Amino acid sequence: MSMIKFIIRRLLSLLPVLFGVITLTFILSRLMPGDPILAHLPRNFTEAMYLEKLEQLGLDQPIFTQYVIYLGDLFTGNWGNSVSLAKGSPVWDLVLERFFRTFDIAIFSIFIATIVGLKTGVISATHRNKAKDTALRGFALVGVAIPVFWMGMMLQYLLAYQIPILPGIGYKTPGIGDPPVVTHLRIIDCILAFDMVLLFDYIQHLILPVLCLSFITLASITRQTRSSMLEVLGQDYVRTARAKGCKEKDVINTHARKNALIPTITIIGLNFGGLLSGAVLTETTFNLHGLGELLIVSIQNTDYWVLNGIVFLTTLTFISINLSIDLIYGFIDPRIRY
Amino acid sequence: MEEVYEQEFKFEEEKENIVENTVSWIFKNIKFLLIPGSRLEELSRREFEYEKTISKRKFIRRLKSVLTILGIIIIFVIITFAVHGTWIAPYTKAEANGVLPGSWDPPSASNLLGQTKFGRDVLSRIIYGAYSSLTIALPAITFSVIMGVIFGMISGYYGGWVDSLIMRFTDVFLAFPSLILALVFIAIWGQKMEYIMLAYGILGVPYYARLIRGSVLQARELPYVEAARVSGSGNWRLMFRHVLPNCIQPIIISFTFDIGGIILSLAGLSFLGYSDMTLIEWGNDINIARLHLYDAPWSAVWPGIMILITVLGFMLVGDGLRDALDPRMKNL
Repeated sequence: MSMIKFIIRRLLSLLPVLFGVITLTFILSRLMPGDPILAHLPRNFTEAMYLEKLEQLGLDQPIFTQYVIYLGDLFTGNWGNSVSLAKGSPVWDLVLERFFRTFDIAIFSIFIATIVGLKTGVISATHRNKAKDTALRGFALVGVAIPVFWMGMMLQYLLAYQIPILPGIGYKTPGIGDPPVVTHLRIIDCILAFDMVLLFDYIQHLILPVLCLSFITLASITRQTRSSMLEVLGQDYVRTARAKGCKEKDVINTHARKNALIPTITIIGLNFGGLLSGAVLTETTFNLHGLGELLIVSIQNTDYWVLNGIVFLTTLTFISINLSIDLIYGFIDPRIRY
Repeated sequence: MEEVYEQEFKFEEEKENIVENTVSWIFKNIKFLLIPGSRLEELSRREFEYEKTISKRKFIRRLKSVLTILGIIIIFVIITFAVHGTWIAPYTKAEANGVLPGSWDPPSASNLLGQTKFGRDVLSRIIYGAYSSLTIALPAITFSVIMGVIFGMISGYYGGWVDSLIMRFTDVFLAFPSLILALVFIAIWGQKMEYIMLAYGILGVPYYARLIRGSVLQARELPYVEAARVSGSGNWRLMFRHVLPNCIQPIIISFTFDIGGIILSLAGLSFLGYSDMTLIEWGNDINIARLHLYDAPWSAVWPGIMILITVLGFMLVGDGLRDALDPRMKNL
């Protein structure tokens, strides 16, 4: 019961943030230079055509009226039509398709990064100040400091050009078809359609971007795990466990690691939110047609509707990930009561 | 103490050739003068004890790890590139940004690291690139630290509705994806160096406000603040003379980290084409070289390595500072 209460309280406290983000997006998008109406019109348009389009899009209203209409539309799911990419198609469909493509990459990256990062972090902490630790710390620091787009380009050069074993760009081989859309997640769609060719092709295309994203995520997870592990290893109960004769492996794996997990989980969640919105650079490098690429196009073309849709969706995801992390705490650490 | 001084004074007087003495002393103790943290053998045991009690943290000694010194050297080299680039680079700034014979040529005697677009020298461009990265990153982060300190201090010190108002604003900005915000800001204002600086400055403010608010909330309850209040200090004096010095530590650490972070995201922004294209900047160079990745890889490799090294330098120093300053790490 207390958990439900906690969720409701958290949701209520998130409402002002969501509202603020929506308002901020509205203000920013209206401040952007450029005229989205021009994209709708032929080259030799007349003033009457311009005014008609203006009225049709609702941009002739006073700015406050526009804001209220925008709020109403946002919550009823009527996100308007795109004016830049795929002209006239509903924003909701466009954003959702791109969102799931980015989600695919993000979830694989975070999965790999979590597994490897926890392992390396623990190793680094248990071998503190030895050669292994220094090497792993250096590795992690390189991961934090490396520009992800540059790493992507180097991988493209090495693994797609010099030793051509992997495809360098795109999310599918040009000319290859798409599986019937069921869940929007391409992997699951491929499996549902029993199309192993498509599946294999897609996984091949995913390897390089996932490698890039998981490397930079891995670094911060390793660093966080190491420092919280070190803190935990200095606690009294670890000494007690050692004193009563636990095997070192058990001390690390059961006594220490679980307690070191909480700050790490926070970092993992933040990284996942960051990956969803921040995969812009990787997507541009690998030409992946994800959410990030759509974002750039919408900013370049002053596409208010798409921009608002993307920001709303990513903020919503970010907030819900943070909320679910708060809930996961309870499962990891039974001492935490809501 | 006076006796000691007198003795020393006499000791000095007895020797006639002071200059020679000083020079030989410098040569003898060059390790003491150059390497921070090493000490003189002649220092008395008592003085050593005294030293030990006043610097319990032994700040510099903790900073003396290999990685931190490596970071300091890297930062030093990068700053040298930024300040004295015109002396080090083989081509002048105008040549590095102009049109020269040849195009995308491989490394040769005249272009040690090869050529990029319009026959520009890669080596010169990566040296001049240090200047623009640092001149954008440093003012931006200074702006965000100053504004963040002011807002965070007001928010943490006064509390109440001011606090909730400022914190709601920071919540909104922190929930907003920062790269999107930077892109939109730059789209609104235009692709100029000053605006990019300002955009990054504004983006950092909520983060620093949060950071300092947390420490202010702890520090304002400490007894010495109470004492200062009793002795009649005003609010501003309390905030900036008494509370602030106690909260500055996390700011220093994240300042060092964030210089690296800003250089990195700046390069990302340039890579996307949202930057002043006339600027000699590493991200710009990678963006230009991207279209010729397969036939002229050298033009993309070196700017990236420079970014990596620079950011690594700042992160290493940040790591060292955190280990040295963070009291929780003391007995680990």
